[in-house]
Amino acid sequence: MVQYYDALLSLCGFEAFEIENERPRVERAFARLGIGPGDMGTADAWVRQNHDVSLTGVRKLLGAWLKELIDLVLAKEEGRKVVYFGFPAMLGPGLLISASSGDVHVSAPDMVLCHTMGQIFNKLTPVIEAGEANGLPAGHALCSLWQIKIGAVSRGIIPVPDMALASSYFCDMGSKADDFVTARFGTPVAYIDGVMDSGWGEYPGFLPERVEYLGGQINQAIEKAETVLGIRTEFDAWVKVREVGRQFVSRLQKLIDLMKADPVPVSLTAIELLEALSGASTGRGIREGVRAMDILIQELGERVKKGVGATKKGAPRIMVSFGHMSDPSITRLYEEAGLAVPLTLVLNAIAGSPAEPEANYQTPGEMVAAHELAGGFFHSTYGITKRMEDAFEVMTLDGFIANYIFCCRPSAIQSHITKKYLEEKTGVPVLSLEQDIYDSRAYSADSMRTKVEAFAEMLRSK
Amino acid sequence: MKALARLDSHLEDRLNALKEEKQQGRRIIGYTAGSYMPEELVLACNGIPLGLVQAGNNHLLMEADAYICRWLDPFWRSQVGYLASGRDPFYESVDLLVIPITDNHVRMLATIVDFCMPDRECFLFGVPHIKNRSALSYYLNGLNRLRKKLEDFTGVVITEARLKKAIALCNRERQLFREISLMRRSIPPVVKSFDFIKLQHGSFLADKQMMVDILESFIEEVKVDPPAVDRGPRLLFTGSTLARGDSKVMEIINRLGATVVVEEFAEGLRSYLSDVKTAGDLMANLAEAYFMDRICPGWFRPGTERLDFLLKLAGDYRTTGMIWYQLMYRESYKVESCFFPEIIEKKTGMKTLVLESEYDAMAMGALETRIETFIQTLRS
Repeated sequence: MVQYYDALLSLCGFEAFEIENERPRVERAFARLGIGPGDMGTADAWVRQNHDVSLTGVRKLLGAWLKELIDLVLAKEEGRKVVYFGFPAMLGPGLLISASSGDVHVSAPDMVLCHTMGQIFNKLTPVIEAGEANGLPAGHALCSLWQIKIGAVSRGIIPVPDMALASSYFCDMGSKADDFVTARFGTPVAYIDGVMDSGWGEYPGFLPERVEYLGGQINQAIEKAETVLGIRTEFDAWVKVREVGRQFVSRLQKLIDLMKADPVPVSLTAIELLEALSGASTGRGIREGVRAMDILIQELGERVKKGVGATKKGAPRIMVSFGHMSDPSITRLYEEAGLAVPLTLVLNAIAGSPAEPEANYQTPGEMVAAHELAGGFFHSTYGITKRMEDAFEVMTLDGFIANYIFCCRPSAIQSHITKKYLEEKTGVPVLSLEQDIYDSRAYSADSMRTKVEAFAEMLRSK
Repeated sequence: MKALARLDSHLEDRLNALKEEKQQGRRIIGYTAGSYMPEELVLACNGIPLGLVQAGNNHLLMEADAYICRWLDPFWRSQVGYLASGRDPFYESVDLLVIPITDNHVRMLATIVDFCMPDRECFLFGVPHIKNRSALSYYLNGLNRLRKKLEDFTGVVITEARLKKAIALCNRERQLFREISLMRRSIPPVVKSFDFIKLQHGSFLADKQMMVDILESFIEEVKVDPPAVDRGPRLLFTGSTLARGDSKVMEIINRLGATVVVEEFAEGLRSYLSDVKTAGDLMANLAEAYFMDRICPGWFRPGTERLDFLLKLAGDYRTTGMIWYQLMYRESYKVESCFFPEIIEKKTGMKTLVLESEYDAMAMGALETRIETFIQTLRS
């Protein structure tokens, strides 16, 4: 029998048989999330307004996020153990744990909520407010991702985790908030510690002890996960992890090739859905994401042949650091201002300019550590900035919007430096744009429109 | 007190003395706050250690605005301000700046100095955020690299004998600080915390031997003629950074008749609770003392060691209230402030007042009202 949510699921790429198969789980998950018939009108309009649903690949991507959400919400009641990792994270440990046991759900739940409760239902604010009311107050520039996570756990819409993997190699807030979760709920934490102490100009080099220390920490975290979760991580799981990564990256590389076309064939909102999936899911979401990408790549290939794009041909081409994770109307702002966005920092870091470690390592932890340090993002501020500069070799670009997250210290460090460095090195204009890419209450599209429009006008006049 | 007057006089003349020392070929090694840079290494290569812990002036933050957005700790933005503006002669006297990178706020400073201030020579090394043997080994590697850098920079080889002598001198300073601090356990305390902090801050700039002499004479003076200390509620004062120049909250507390009897800050004060061993591998001993033995700051994970230490201080110093003074946007302290006070109250009955500052003079009126209310609550 048709239910109130069928049309929305169909809009989000669910096949009819999938809706039937998922029906009891969808209903249980939606009940827990507080989603009912009254939310469908808003969701339908919000999705159509902000996502290019004429592309089946985009709809399937939205569906992949929804499936990840359902799996997350129901994980505990379906008897699975739950592990949360912070975002951004080195994905190796989470993927390895996930690949080692079908009984463990591993994800970044805050990211999943952003892309579903935010991007599909436009209903994230109450979750953030619950986080503010339950330990992480407003007005202190605390991480809004963490407010979402705490809010969702406090409201009981996602399960209390059985274990947390703390990204102590990048973020200070995350590990501390994991302490808070331990104090509140008794959740054990595996801290994966690292030290970003490389100097300016050192990337891609790094001291060998950085890999030794960080790799050892990853190995210890995996051992702790085995003890806490009662699982064994075997070599074949490691092979599976690498295969998942390879599949994802190879498709992103094809996508980057397509994005070189003029006009750019698809909106940044779709790119954001894709690249974020790899940072949030270790399970069904990422598997479905790979399938969605296959469809999307085919569709975009046809668009390129026909000269169809998300913006006008000849529009100034810019790279942005990230799209908005929960509010696609902000991500669309750039295109509405007449800018084409063929590349992001994240997309380039994952699948753009190559960055592989020079040395070989023996343990899984060291391999992950070396790979991640080579990628630049967890290396240093210089490493991140240099990767942005490298993007200019991958794609022809007329400008750069270096959006930094005010409530994320590793990102806020870049507020002035990135602009100065990139303008000196590449000669193209850079707009440094302060944002909160998870919570759009204070940094809305309206508050940023003037800046982006002025920047676009300046690029057009060049 | 005579010892404090002597310290004032020494610091007044300190810049001239440093100038003369530089002319004679000694190098000044500045280092940032946090107590992770062993001064012993500097002293052992005939360098002059200078701790950079000045802050409290909101105007310096405007100097930093050209380099960084406002969403980072104002103490560390102040450090950018001092280094960018050239306003503080002590900062300007530094030949080599050592930055032990602890959390992202310190990394911000390191990145800006490294990239935007190429004329300032700096040396960076990392401090892990957890305590275990591999973290200790990482820290020790950093110290070994620092030692090599200092030897190259000063042209003086750090021999075992020189290092041992430097450790002995620094141990003596720590012992004296311990002795003075412990005098505050009595009821009433015989040492004013205001004086203790003045000595602490002075020690970052003073000649080491002179500082030891001043501390010894301070203790003698207290024994002979203890100063009158208010008998108000006994407070534990804790937080992220207590900079030289950031005295307004303590002034308010004093004025309102409460007494800070002990403080715990990660930055701006010198760690003095344990000594460096002088037998065996001295570099390993330095790492052990500066990394493992000291109480970890709020950005260490987990934070249970610091929580336990606060509970111990509350018992040892018989405090009836705690003032948690943190700087804006230092997220690790902010998150701890959301759940530590509840645990502490459950275990000790002690109430906490959480205060935040961005060194804004306009905020002092509101802070004073809150502190006054808190002290009245404790009195009742």
